[in-house]
Amino acid sequence: MSLIVVGLSHHTCPVSVREKFAFGQEEIAPSLAKMQQSGLADECVLLSTCNRVEVYVASPFSGSEAFERIHHFLQKDRGCEEEELLPSLYSHVDSDCIEHLFKVASGLDSLVLGETEILGQLKDAYQCAVGAKSTGKALNKLFQKAFHVAKHIRSNTGIQRGSTSVGSVAVELAERIFDGLEGKRVMVIGAGDTSEKTARSLLSRGASELLVTNRSIERARALADELDGRAVAFEDWQEEFHHLDIVISSTSAPTYVLNRLKVQQLIQHRPATPLLLIDIAVPRDIDPEINELENVYVYNIDHLQSIAQDYLEQRQSELTKCETYIRSKAQEWLEAWKTPPKRGGGTDSYFQAGPSGAS
Amino acid sequence: MLTDRQWFLCATLLYGLGMMYSVFLWRKGFRKDDRIHYFLLLAGFALNTTAMFMRGFSFNRCPVNNLFEATMFVDWSAVGVYLILGLWQKFRFVGAFASPIFLFLGIFALMPGLDHQDPEGQITKNWAVSLHAVLILFSYGAFGLCAVASGMYLIQERHLKTHNILAILSKLPSIERLESIASRLVLAGVILLSVGLSFAPFLGQPDRPLAWYQDAKVIWSIVIWATYVGVVSSRYLWRFGGRPMAWALIACFVFLILTFSGTNLMSEMHQ
Repeated sequence: MSLIVVGLSHHTCPVSVREKFAFGQEEIAPSLAKMQQSGLADECVLLSTCNRVEVYVASPFSGSEAFERIHHFLQKDRGCEEEELLPSLYSHVDSDCIEHLFKVASGLDSLVLGETEILGQLKDAYQCAVGAKSTGKALNKLFQKAFHVAKHIRSNTGIQRGSTSVGSVAVELAERIFDGLEGKRVMVIGAGDTSEKTARSLLSRGASELLVTNRSIERARALADELDGRAVAFEDWQEEFHHLDIVISSTSAPTYVLNRLKVQQLIQHRPATPLLLIDIAVPRDIDPEINELENVYVYNIDHLQSIAQDYLEQRQSELTKCETYIRSKAQEWLEAWKTPPKRGGGTDSYFQAGPSGAS
Repeated sequence: MLTDRQWFLCATLLYGLGMMYSVFLWRKGFRKDDRIHYFLLLAGFALNTTAMFMRGFSFNRCPVNNLFEATMFVDWSAVGVYLILGLWQKFRFVGAFASPIFLFLGIFALMPGLDHQDPEGQITKNWAVSLHAVLILFSYGAFGLCAVASGMYLIQERHLKTHNILAILSKLPSIERLESIASRLVLAGVILLSVGLSFAPFLGQPDRPLAWYQDAKVIWSIVIWATYVGVVSSRYLWRFGGRPMAWALIACFVFLILTFSGTNLMSEMHQ
């Protein structure tokens, strides 16, 4: 029996190709059943996310033969041409397959290095396969091990440390300035996509009140309704300034919306507490000189992206440590799997257990 | 069996180890967990307490009778306040910044010539004198930690202003929290100092030749008290805060610590 993974991901093809091969949640169990019925797999798990579609298979066929059969199965199941699928497909057999799974579970193969969402998606895919009774001794143990390895890597390395999106970096910054975000008031100037995400992140961490202002009051109202905030007419937003703790600005104004003189006047009327100004706009909305004012902190899109990039570089530096650990654990697992039966034709005790929950 | 001074020497050595470890924490950008540092200072505090108990029981009085004892007491109270703060993980790095002060106080206390014994041994057997000294020394401990929190504020504020990633990576508390700690500590210090000083007129030393206003330590204490009261009042009256407040609190404590022993030695009343 060989272990093989066949799939395509953001490494091998663009989203226009991935979307054609993506499986809906309701399609997965029938496809797993078909795969087993066709005889190409004794056990199989199908992972379908926005960044990858992968089939993990314990197959009675050798690696190359199993790859051919899975390739044809996918082509038929997804109703596409061979030349469309083949250039995007990759496959890994036995130790490479195990290493690949461990990397996927740990977020090392993800678009954002070290992201954790993939582990949940992998657990869901495994549970779906367990529900469809398409797993057995090999894949049950392999996936359990993958979850264990991912947990170890998360706890013992810095691969998942820090934030890699503008929104989450903004939240981290706010938490370094304020003693918790509970009760903090946030204003969004200009209802853009990034400012919406940033505001959502702040609200999810406890910010109590959100004000939205925009040149178009309808757009301000729409965003305010969506985020359970309050819309403020663009002409009136300065009147609210003395209540604010965090301002996110992302207008398309050609000049500064907030300049030093204006902020100097506005902060006279607010308590002597810190003020965080996040400027996501290009061209910038907030005069960088405002950062020189006492108790006022200005961060623009470059500052936020630079912090996110630093985090990514730190994660990259942890990569070798993670890969070494994964290689040793994959080898260990493979040796246990390949160990011949101890007596009377049974399998090794490590593989005696049946399916277990993803934990 | 070790003497009280030797116990305090051991405590100071542990504070020194704590300071060395804090250099390591600093080089790591205050990102490494600092329980080791906390336990080093806890062990030092235990030895410091032992030294104070031995001194107190051997003379049957509160050990605040001379510069050695007073400095040992300030050190003990500052470490004690830190250990309570450090129970909360986010305040534990205060110790990394405070341990050089703990070490400095320890070395200063152990300098020869400061452990002058009162020949009559009666001065601090008076409970009012003990309370006067203890409250004032406690207030110095609070001012010391307040200066440390202000130093941490300035570092974190600098990181934030310069968009340095260490502002996020380090495990220092938020600047709002640091400012709040510094404000509370200075307020606590001012209250302790005020209560401690308020005992002074009732201590009665009729055999002293000089009036209170001719004593260097009394004048110095009033200056210290007025300065700290000024800082606290300006915070509440004129929104004095942030960076200027942090610098003011550090400057006040530096002045206090540098002039403390000199004014003691110049004072007739406090010999």
